[in-house]
Amino acid sequence: MREFCLVGVVALVTACGGAAVPQESLTAAKASIAGAEVGGAASEPKAALHLKLAKEQVAKAESLISDGDNEEAARVIDRAQADADLSLALAKEVSAEKAAIETKEQLEKLRKKATQ
Amino acid sequence: MKNGFNRIALFTVLSQALLACATPMPPQELLDARTAYDVATKSSAPQYAPAQLDTAKQSLARAEQSFQDNGDEPVTKDLAYVADRRAKLAAAEGSREQAERTRAQMDKDFRSTEIDALETTKSKLENEQRARAEAEKGLADAQKKLSAAMASLTEIAKVKEESRGVVITLSGSVLFATGKSALLPIAQEKLSEVAKALNDQGFKSLLVEGHTDSQGSADKNMVLSQERAESVRTYLISQGIPSDKIKAQGIGSSRPVADNSTAEGRANNRRVEIVVEPLGK
Repeated sequence: MREFCLVGVVALVTACGGAAVPQESLTAAKASIAGAEVGGAASEPKAALHLKLAKEQVAKAESLISDGDNEEAARVIDRAQADADLSLALAKEVSAEKAAIETKEQLEKLRKKATQ
Repeated sequence: MKNGFNRIALFTVLSQALLACATPMPPQELLDARTAYDVATKSSAPQYAPAQLDTAKQSLARAEQSFQDNGDEPVTKDLAYVADRRAKLAAAEGSREQAERTRAQMDKDFRSTEIDALETTKSKLENEQRARAEAEKGLADAQKKLSAAMASLTEIAKVKEESRGVVITLSGSVLFATGKSALLPIAQEKLSEVAKALNDQGFKSLLVEGHTDSQGSADKNMVLSQERAESVRTYLISQGIPSDKIKAQGIGSSRPVADNSTAEGRANNRRVEIVVEPLGK
């Protein structure tokens, strides 16, 4: 009876598109989104856009998984991952540029003071 | 039936025409990805984020391959979407790395400028200290010279600080023969030393006063005291005291410093006083 059940489940999963639930990549995408948020992506407009896209696509992937469409879910998760990675990179770029400008200003101020 | 056949034939012809026309237009996602990759290759990514740029390149190649194999199917669009993000990431990482390097260099410059500024301040302070030490030494030298001059003066004359200035008193018996106004040789020697000490010390002005005792007529005493004061003034001028800074005045017997009834008192009253108005007063 138990074996029959298992065969039944396997058959069902196979029938529903043949792909396994992309749990691992979904978890990774969520972790990257969290990482981008910690990296300040939400407060930088360019980064925030891709953070939003990543979140929307994770939500879409989750709904696709619950509908059983694992194959498309996997592709949407790839999109989410790419957006999350880009979001963090943009946030880091902006903060590095801000730091460089700040250092430049400090240096100029110091040089001005030194020549006085 | 005939109708149905015609419709199928028409469909076939049309789809064949479409296929023959060309490969389908690339989807927007793929166009975006190509542009993004192009931008990335022209950014600082090749220099500062080559690994990320390579990942973007491979990602774009997969999208292009999918477009070749599957046309503008969703799978192609998804791959192109990912490729677009990978290319933008490479550009962002490149400019981040560049900004960080620039900042690191400026940080280094900041520190070395700070050190330079400290060095400058240090040497400025040292120069100031040296200048102050020199000034102090100059002042000490001047003071030494002054006290030496005063010391040599006190050896030959009585020196007293009064409200009208420093008063140098020379005894009349040392300077002049009785009743005369010509300087004795010994007096000239003494006055030379006084002139030297005064020149060393510096002064604003000098007043030479002649005083007598109360013996003889007041008029005579007045004339004598005036002549004696003039004689001292003339000699001091000959010893380098500027003539416009020295005046002579006869006082006569009107300002005795001792009792005229004794010989010793009268000797003390016969005198020449040089009143020195010091510098900076």
